[in-house]
Amino acid sequence: MGTFFSDWYYLSIRNTKQIWRPLLALIPSMFIPIFFFFVNSVSLSAFAKVPGFPNVSYKDFIAPVALFTAIFFSAGNAGIELVQDIANGYFKKLIILPISKITILLSKLTEVAVQAVLQGAIVLVLLLADGVHFNTGVLGILAIFGLMVIFAMAWSCVGIIAALRTKNARLVQSMFVIVFPFLYLTTSQAPKQLLPPTFATIATYNPVTYIIEGVRALVLYDWSSPAIWQGFLMASCLFVVMVSLALKSFQKAIS
Amino acid sequence: MTTGNTIIEVKDLVKTYPGDVRAVQGVTFNVKEAEFFGFLGPNGAGKTTTMNMLVNLVKKTSGSIHIDGIDLDKNPQEIYKRIGFAMQEVGLDETASAREMLQLHGRLYHLPKQRIDEQIAKLLKLVELEKVADRYTATYSGGMRRRFDLALSLIHEPRILFLDEPTQGLDPHARQLIWGHLKELNQAGMTIFLTTHFMEEAETLCDRLAIMDRGKIVTEGTVQELLAKHEAKTLEEVFLKTTGSNLGDEEVNLNAADPYARRN
Repeated sequence: MGTFFSDWYYLSIRNTKQIWRPLLALIPSMFIPIFFFFVNSVSLSAFAKVPGFPNVSYKDFIAPVALFTAIFFSAGNAGIELVQDIANGYFKKLIILPISKITILLSKLTEVAVQAVLQGAIVLVLLLADGVHFNTGVLGILAIFGLMVIFAMAWSCVGIIAALRTKNARLVQSMFVIVFPFLYLTTSQAPKQLLPPTFATIATYNPVTYIIEGVRALVLYDWSSPAIWQGFLMASCLFVVMVSLALKSFQKAIS
Repeated sequence: MTTGNTIIEVKDLVKTYPGDVRAVQGVTFNVKEAEFFGFLGPNGAGKTTTMNMLVNLVKKTSGSIHIDGIDLDKNPQEIYKRIGFAMQEVGLDETASAREMLQLHGRLYHLPKQRIDEQIAKLLKLVELEKVADRYTATYSGGMRRRFDLALSLIHEPRILFLDEPTQGLDPHARQLIWGHLKELNQAGMTIFLTTHFMEEAETLCDRLAIMDRGKIVTEGTVQELLAKHEAKTLEEVFLKTTGSNLGDEEVNLNAADPYARRN
């Protein structure tokens, strides 16, 4: 058991170093959420005056989306890095090491969690500097990070599964496009009651809606909001399902 | 050089890929401890598939493999501790330096820190990469990558070293350098299993050879034995007589060479 944890640790350190190598690779996944947050919070601020909109500023309303966009894009990197290891042959070297093979996958998820915290922290600092108020305080911010980490690991499995099943770098790299329907066919830009009926229905069935609403409740309201536990429940369910599927793909790839 | 003890024992090894592509068709051979054993054959003959089965990167269809007396099916983890493998495709972490990769692999082989440090110093000197040890491997030339890959496969001082076309694409200087390192390792008692299609490489390095064609071993022995057996003057002549190298078959088998291209 001792070597299991040490293998996991050393592989996680190796993977985590890839986050900032090269440092410039971090810019796109940071730029997109920050850019959209500042543009939308200014250009759509009047939306907060529409009847039916909650009694909060539009900036506070879309703050969770900025955090989420950073997580969405960064979590996709895990699949890209894995497919690069597979394509250049390094993955084969890893699977003939005398280690528990599952640590290869666990270390990828650990990297995703670390990156979610790092990138989330940078976005958080910018949001705080811009005057976004977090109603549930420091504990609420910790809960937001917990929710984001669980979701980031679940979402990263989409890229990991694609990498393991297709071994095709171009396909895995192009998978970032699926972020957009999952992120925008939700209540990310407006509350459900203001969405057109078709969009509202899609948002109801989009699991990301519940996670965004969970984060939003932690930003705007208090701990009594049911959206918080619903967000955690949905993120946990997604985590279990996606990690199980990733494990299955991983076992198939190494067997 | 050899001790006479069998260290690699392969019996009736078969690999059939989907679509009834028979990459390896009932191969049987033994390698002695501290022997330098060469596996020759035209491209697509099944050499790489055989080697990948020996290191458990490709699952065999049937047959048995014992490495250092251990059944590969029963205890692959023990076998991983005893073998080193430098692949045809030099797979490196391009976001890491050579020193970082050696440290990581030393830790994953669960070596004590002091031994890892000693091994890193020794191996970087052996492959003459001391001055670039802290540079990212992405900046290395083809020859440097091959030499580093060899060093990486030796971090845990394996008893058996598997090398798949280790000098492919190298210039004569780099090739000589690698041959020199391999001879030293073999003289120090390491068993080396090499696949190649360079006759000169096989003649220079190997104690014993097997020539493979269309998934089968067509002849086996020392260079002298092969020359006598096939009434040939050169190893190349033996190779041509026994394989009759056929490009059509090569294309069929090339598809089978990469396990990750065919699994799913």
